[in-house]
Amino acid sequence: MAEYIVQMVDIHKWFGKVYALRGVDFNVGFNEIVGLVGDNGAGKSTLIKILSGYHIADRGEIYFNGEKVNIQTPKDAKKLGIETVYQEQALAPHVSISRNVFMGREPSKFLGFIDKKKMDNDSLNVLTDLGLKIKDPNLVVETLSGGQRQGVAIARVLYFKAKLVILDEPTIALSVKESQQVMEFMKQLRSEGISVIFITHNIYHAFQISDRFVILSHGEKLADVRKEETSLDELISLITSGKSKSEV
Amino acid sequence: MGIDNKRRRVVDLFIEFRALDVFIIFILLFLTFLLLSPGHRFISKDNLDVFFSIGSEFTIVPIVIGMLMIAGEFDLSVGSNLVFCSFIFFKLIDVGVNVWLSSFLTILVGTFVGFSNGFITVKAKIPSFITILGTMMLWRGVTLFWSQGLQKALELQGHDFFVKIFTGQIAKFLPVQFLWFIIIALLIGFIVHFHRFGNWLYTTGDNKQAARAMGINTDMVKVITFSIVGAVVAFVAIMQIVRVGTFTSRAGDGWELNAIAAAVVGGTALSGGIGSIFGVFWGALIISIIQNGLVVLRIPYYWTFTIFGVILISSAIISLYLDKKRLSVGAAEAGN
Repeated sequence: MAEYIVQMVDIHKWFGKVYALRGVDFNVGFNEIVGLVGDNGAGKSTLIKILSGYHIADRGEIYFNGEKVNIQTPKDAKKLGIETVYQEQALAPHVSISRNVFMGREPSKFLGFIDKKKMDNDSLNVLTDLGLKIKDPNLVVETLSGGQRQGVAIARVLYFKAKLVILDEPTIALSVKESQQVMEFMKQLRSEGISVIFITHNIYHAFQISDRFVILSHGEKLADVRKEETSLDELISLITSGKSKSEV
Repeated sequence: MGIDNKRRRVVDLFIEFRALDVFIIFILLFLTFLLLSPGHRFISKDNLDVFFSIGSEFTIVPIVIGMLMIAGEFDLSVGSNLVFCSFIFFKLIDVGVNVWLSSFLTILVGTFVGFSNGFITVKAKIPSFITILGTMMLWRGVTLFWSQGLQKALELQGHDFFVKIFTGQIAKFLPVQFLWFIIIALLIGFIVHFHRFGNWLYTTGDNKQAARAMGINTDMVKVITFSIVGAVVAFVAIMQIVRVGTFTSRAGDGWELNAIAAAVVGGTALSGGIGSIFGVFWGALIISIIQNGLVVLRIPYYWTFTIFGVILISSAIISLYLDKKRLSVGAAEAGN
């Protein structure tokens, strides 16, 4: 059994002249929530986009469940069970919840005609599993709050058996209450055996929920610490100083 | 539990309001023309005949235009495609090609025109509006050039059955064109509302990025829909020219905007992702009944533009108002 669900080794990425990632090693363990933090331009988005197939690294290797993999497209990543949840971008606002959950993967009994009963039932179940109190899957997503929408997007990846879920700034533009709700969802995912990469600017949120922190700055990894080995203040000073843990 | 049920009823009502609302407007218009027309001419057999036969030629088009608009695209070249296919069919019959083969080939040509519209729109990444304006002029221009001075009649002797399919009567009173309208509306309606492809249409039109992220090939969805539009337009072209009996270079003139108007009146959003075929069905009938009613009431032709303009703008305003209402209802209740 592999030690990590995902291992990214020595990842380099250039965008033209911009050296976005300078030899980053990044691992995610099983049943783990990793907080990927760092200021703007640190390379967080680029790193996870490589993992989810939107970019291809110029140098470096990726191992999934101990085996070397070649992720060229988002489809490849999805096949492995790596799913990314972006914010609003993930859902169609004027379409119902159940149709959103099954977007592109609609269940069908006959010639492609949608099995509505199954679609409605299954989406209701997975929403409830996640802790979302939505009674009617035919409600249009637009009528939901930000936190609930995030929940629907997460429920979608939960249903489709994701093994690793990447949440890119999930609590941005959410109220305090809604942010807490989203973090509860993350805990749910972990308890279902799914690992989570939580990218955020909000160090307080990151500290609240992550098992481990990885700090990136200017394309390099500054720190990789378990929660027990550090404190909120230390994390903040690491990020703002831009120096690695050994240097501080 | 009680609050959720109430929320569902209210929201559903608003969403379906559009389609129901359109149906009611249709009934109101029908009654208005019925009462206002001298001697109730509106419901005379002759007029109803015209409404159900010629009217149905037009009403079929918004059904597929609505489908395309749900996917977030427009096709302004339907009128040009219509006249082009009309000409192709005429020419094929003229040189002696079998009627069935001619029909098949014409529909193939129409599908190809639609396909090319779709292909250019998605590949060249030019907004469909522009692409279509271009093709609109292209196909009509080509047709006008080729058909210069064409005066012949369509020779369909000995093909009574073929003619009957497009212009006959059901049970001696209902023009078969209306039946075609119902069939096409049901077919498209089933696909849009109950088939996977329909969900791809809505999600592509509502949030293309999300649809792509979920693995839906939005380009293919659009190209297929454009092709369906082309095929149906070709079918209507055949239906029309068989009825008229001769080629006319003005065929389909102005249909594109009326088709979009019908779709909008039927609750389809210009931005995509919103609409129902049920609504478009009644929206098309409304546009058709107005065209018919204005003639029956002997209202001068130039008034039709004004009236259509007013209807279109009021529909758009009502639609926006309802959208705003819908949003605030949802937020108010979801905030609990």
